Amino acid sequence: MPVLTRTLVLLALSLYTAFAAGPFVWAAMLSLRTTTEIHLNHFAFPNPAHWEKFPDAWYNSNYATYFMNSIEVVIAAVVVLTIVGAMAAHCLARYRFRLNRVIYFILFSTIIFPPQITIIALFQILVNYGLYNSKLGLTLVYVALQLPLTIYILESFFARLPADLFDAARMDGYSDWEIFWKVSLPIALPAVATTVILNFILLWNEFLFAVVLITDEANRTLPLGIQRFIGDTQEDIGMIATGLMIAIVPVIIVYAFFSEKLIQGMTAGAVK
Amino acid sequence: MPAFRAKELKGDVRQPWGTIVAFLLPALTFYVALTAYPAIRTLWNSFHRVLPRREEFVGIANYSELIKDEIFWKAVSNTVTWACISPVIEVTVALLLALALYAKVPGARFFRVAWFTPVLMSYIVVGILWMWIYNYDWGPLNTLLRAIGLGALAQPWLGSPDTALGALILVTSWMWVGFNMVVLLAALHSLPKDVIEAAELDNCGWSAKLVFVIIPLIRATLLNLVVLSFIGKMKIFDLVWITTKGNPLWSTETVSTYVYKRAFEWTTFDLGYPSTIATVWFVIVLATVLLLTWLFRTREKLEY
Amino acid sequence: MFYAEPDQVEYMDSGFLLDLSELNWAAVEPWAKEAWMYKGKPYGLPLEAWTVELYYNKKMLDELGVKLPDNLQLSPDAFLDMVKKAKAKGITPMSLGAGDRPFTGAHLVHEALLKKLGVEDYSKLLAGKLAWTDPRVVETLTWIRSLTDAGLLPATFTTMKLAEAHIYFHTNPGALTFLNGSWYTSRAFNPVDKGGQPEDFQLGIMQFPSVPGAVCNECRTIAVGGSYVANAETEHKAEVIKFLNSFLSPEVGNEWLENVKVQTGIKSDPSKMNDKQASEYFAMIAKTNAGAKYHFGLPIQVMTGKPKEVFTQVFNNAFPAGNISVEDAVKQMDAAN
Repeated sequence: MPVLTRTLVLLALSLYTAFAAGPFVWAAMLSLRTTTEIHLNHFAFPNPAHWEKFPDAWYNSNYATYFMNSIEVVIAAVVVLTIVGAMAAHCLARYRFRLNRVIYFILFSTIIFPPQITIIALFQILVNYGLYNSKLGLTLVYVALQLPLTIYILESFFARLPADLFDAARMDGYSDWEIFWKVSLPIALPAVATTVILNFILLWNEFLFAVVLITDEANRTLPLGIQRFIGDTQEDIGMIATGLMIAIVPVIIVYAFFSEKLIQGMTAGAVK
Repeated sequence: MPAFRAKELKGDVRQPWGTIVAFLLPALTFYVALTAYPAIRTLWNSFHRVLPRREEFVGIANYSELIKDEIFWKAVSNTVTWACISPVIEVTVALLLALALYAKVPGARFFRVAWFTPVLMSYIVVGILWMWIYNYDWGPLNTLLRAIGLGALAQPWLGSPDTALGALILVTSWMWVGFNMVVLLAALHSLPKDVIEAAELDNCGWSAKLVFVIIPLIRATLLNLVVLSFIGKMKIFDLVWITTKGNPLWSTETVSTYVYKRAFEWTTFDLGYPSTIATVWFVIVLATVLLLTWLFRTREKLEY
Repeated sequence: MFYAEPDQVEYMDSGFLLDLSELNWAAVEPWAKEAWMYKGKPYGLPLEAWTVELYYNKKMLDELGVKLPDNLQLSPDAFLDMVKKAKAKGITPMSLGAGDRPFTGAHLVHEALLKKLGVEDYSKLLAGKLAWTDPRVVETLTWIRSLTDAGLLPATFTTMKLAEAHIYFHTNPGALTFLNGSWYTSRAFNPVDKGGQPEDFQLGIMQFPSVPGAVCNECRTIAVGGSYVANAETEHKAEVIKFLNSFLSPEVGNEWLENVKVQTGIKSDPSKMNDKQASEYFAMIAKTNAGAKYHFGLPIQVMTGKPKEVFTQVFNNAFPAGNISVEDAVKQMDAAN
């Protein structure tokens, strides 16, 4: 394209990038400054950079607790999701039986359910079974929450595997379970990786179910912890910014390692 | 698992019910226990007053109260407005950005990464950041306005009933444009090269080429994104809860925040009425999604 | 024995609570006994209580040339005058924020309404038995609107958080007054880098200004919090009474005030306190509360359901910010009842 247009376009894009990434850069700067410094000038560069705020936030506020709770709940949920989801997806993709498409459709359609339709009753159910306000309860709910999407992504992948693969395995005397575990899964690793990453990120950031089903300070996941933090602290902007950075770090790490896969996965369903 | 082996060796794999059930059971158990049953129970609740120790059947009393509830209708209006405006902004801007990158502007890889990042952040983080950005006294937005001489426009964006909803819509757009852009870029890259080359861009025909060649080819993806965005906004809760909680004067009240408030913050302790709201809302969402899909599907058929 | 709050009427209705008439009530503030009176008998011993106070910056007030009368209550004209003087100097007259609490912004409205109507009619108003379109209510709201129009509140009122409002008052940018619950101390008396007031800050407390045409300018709101109650079925009635009586001395009262820094139901003696700052502070509190007639509970503690929601949206947030007119506000409240 002509140079003038190209320059204008680049300019527009750079402005947009400033708009898109600016808030994070600002938050990162704030996280390294003390609140007193911030009140003097909200936009100055950190000088000196107070790296000690990070360990401070971790140990002295409850961040360590919230972080570890999130790790426990999310990792447990993702593990269960992957196994249970893959089993169901494999079954729906490779076995023909009358209810197959019905079940698939039912599972898939719950993706559009607004969470309110289940949340009140879930609250009642968990209370009745003593699972309210527990990490176990939340983990189970998270699995149910993400199952439809997981099965959807994996099913479409499993369905594309050539039938010869399975026939050959059967000839070799593999049982159904072994076919699943030793043939399907290893080949589907890219799709599985995608669902793992997707589920991790979505559940790590999940807030609504957590805020309804967890009230105990000791069981709070990270998003809840941050929310309480901004309500309780003495308007400590610097500390809040540091806390935000801590919350963002795992996601950035996952993203940095898996960015290609992640984008592929998230867009897989949307691109026709 | 000798029984399964016996089946295979006999060469009959069509209906290994045992295996099927075994594979499906865990998923279906989760689904029935924690998705299907709760949904039905919510429907049940909607016909009762659900108090801490007892339930009272009230028939359609909750529904008739809902029809007269102005707060509910305000919430519906806000949510639907949001769900209609957002997709338009998000997909249009994303398309422009994707086209720019597609036209091989330098630094494409970097831009893509930078724009995708907001998508990964929790709404809580995003909410806090933007509350600071919108801060009247020292937020970057007002500071910028004052610096370029538009200080008169500076206001408490999240505090005024006229601007609060718009301010929040801007935030969700900020988050999701990156996602849409990446999807559209992938779609553009997967277009057949010869078609594009045949419609090579020259100065005067630029927009015409765009409208008549490129857009029809990626129509399916565009519509997909619009529907996805629409559904997402119909469900929105986190962002509103962390920033305005529905204030000021219910201008940012969404159906989800209203359900939460009625269930857990009104000291009437009745879970029946919010269940009614949830049921009605579910029907509305389902109906609109079906409508949208039907609308777009028909048009596709007419094209080809 | 356990901790409860007076609005849990179900306990007394069901006969769960022990009658505490035998306590040494002479050592307890009269309002504390009244808070827990049910059908003529007291059922709880309030430990926590707080009032809404109008804090101000003594130095700033002097610099503006405003003198407070002996009873610390400015007349409506004098108050408006003070507001205008502050605005002329670019100072926000009152720090107040409704950003993250459903009750802080409403202090302005409910204290004024309480004074204008008196305890009985005010209670009726909150219970929905008195119309909000009552001329007295409309007059009061119009008066408040004249104050907010004169620039009483900060521009960021609707989004300012509670912690921010404290800082706005005593540190940056500094406001003349701050209308807040008396648990102000729990934040302000902390070290400066934890959000506390500056070392040399001269804190004063004045009365909420008198309201034009008010019947009870000495009326104020008190919110009673955690209190000790006992199980009616207890076999240790004597021990319960003895235990609670052991709390009822000025020394314990003082200790509570010095450590918790919020009022208590136990009668105490500020002049005998060790902590100088607490001593001065509670002397000020005692002065503004002397001879007060109390209404128990904030509006949001007393109201429920739809009226509470509308009250919060309209009077905690929209009305003080000037986003809704007096007519619309009272119309909405009446429609909600």
